[in-house]
Amino acid sequence: MSASVAAVFAAGVGVAVLGLLTSVFGQGDQCDAPAPGGGIVLAPPGTGQLVGATEYGGPGDSSSGVIGSSGANLLDFPDSYAELGGETFETATAMGGLPYLTPLRITWGNRSAIAYKRDIGLGGGPIDGLPRVIDLWWELAGRLGIPYHEGLWSGPVRIERPPPAGAGDLLGQSAGGPGSLIPASTAAQDPGACAPAAPTGVPITSGARAQLLPDGLAAAPADAPLAVQEMIAAGNQIVGKPYEVGGSHGLPLSDVGSTYDCSSSVEHLLYGAGLLPVTYDAPSGTLESFGEPGPGRWVTLYANADHVFMYVAGLRWDTHNAAGPGDGSTGIGWHPLIRSAAGFVARHPAGL
Amino acid sequence: MSVRRASALVLCALTCAGCAESHKPPRAAERSRAARALAEAEATHEYPSPPPPRQTTTTTAPAPVQAIRSFATAYINWNAQTVANDMRRLAQRCVSQARSAMQLAAAGTAGDYELARGGIANHGTVEAVAPLPGRRDEYVVVTLESTTATNTTAYQGLLPAWHIALATVTEQAPGQWVLSGWQPES
Repeated sequence: MSASVAAVFAAGVGVAVLGLLTSVFGQGDQCDAPAPGGGIVLAPPGTGQLVGATEYGGPGDSSSGVIGSSGANLLDFPDSYAELGGETFETATAMGGLPYLTPLRITWGNRSAIAYKRDIGLGGGPIDGLPRVIDLWWELAGRLGIPYHEGLWSGPVRIERPPPAGAGDLLGQSAGGPGSLIPASTAAQDPGACAPAAPTGVPITSGARAQLLPDGLAAAPADAPLAVQEMIAAGNQIVGKPYEVGGSHGLPLSDVGSTYDCSSSVEHLLYGAGLLPVTYDAPSGTLESFGEPGPGRWVTLYANADHVFMYVAGLRWDTHNAAGPGDGSTGIGWHPLIRSAAGFVARHPAGL
Repeated sequence: MSVRRASALVLCALTCAGCAESHKPPRAAERSRAARALAEAEATHEYPSPPPPRQTTTTTAPAPVQAIRSFATAYINWNAQTVANDMRRLAQRCVSQARSAMQLAAAGTAGDYELARGGIANHGTVEAVAPLPGRRDEYVVVTLESTTATNTTAYQGLLPAWHIALATVTEQAPGQWVLSGWQPES
């Protein structure tokens, strides 16, 4: 198709679509269109990528107002979120510059809900080591069980694109396919994209083995499955946290605690890869029956009644000096050296 | 050699020559046709073939918009158990590209494990059909669709969404309209 013909065609489609949408949406309440915003429907937790989130609006945050940058009154649309990023509204593209009304499934704790982009906002520094990319309207946050904290709450949430919907996408016949409005160059940085991608914020190294970095964080191997990369990203969140017996037990695994012990830290990583429910809380001995027996291709847990540690893509995740003084560790985190596994039961996640 | 034997040989030779002569023209013509077709293919990159038989459909509509509404309604209303057969039946109701697209959809969904495992279904209504300005027999179709699933929560809470498709119609005989093109755009 020549450029001129394409332009005429595009203009024709545009005119027709505009006319159609005007007539369709102009029917107001007379048609069966979905109610604006609708009720927020809660669902079990989804998967997706961990990102840093904040909340806004509500009685403790009068400065945000109630009109989103899309023009929508957010009081009428409680299922709203804002895309953040940068220091100006022009650069609020932390998720690749999603079009307005892009749905995302947002998971916090053991709940999830679909929300739609109706706003943009300023960004800020990382949250628990995760990039700050999304601001949740306070009513949405409340439905997810997120504490209000006068609009000052921040923490990690999981975000993911809902699967393709509508006959054209489900049957694979849409011209652009789902999510095609996001240019390929930015889609790769889109934490909400459906296609498996490296978890946000985790460094990637080539090959199949994780690499310990000078700052104590780990780089995930490019060849590893997404779950392994997510596990490493979750580990990086709590590297260096002080060891405390019972630390972070009783907290949802989506939270980042101030202290950890061996089992709570291992469980935080397993949750990060979507291998445990957010409410899972067990001592090390329970992990003797986790997953499948024996070493895994990517991940192996070594558990007994007193301790648990694990290897993820060749790096040991363990507590401070658990393998004896001077084992290379400075706290809970990644350790460069292997240690004896005598007296431990080896287990691995199915498929990993 | 006797005269009789010589006559027999001549007769046999003539007969054989006659047989051969009677088959030569078709072979030559065939070769010539093939040579021409190849030469044409070299120039146009298209090997000429006879036109396909005229496609017939199981149903037609008296007007373009009716044909489109009926087709689109069937296209967006199905579940994992019915979708392959539904698309097969739709293929019989349309021609040209639309038929190919529906046959492809039927083949693609017949063994779609994800659709079946998730218990996925799609439902919707045709909200509007409008002619595309400047494009004869082409229309824009707006549908409002909702996707659900019985064995996954992935669609839980997802609102019905608007979708757009481009449709082309053909009048097979006076007052007998069928779909000939179907291209979902979103």
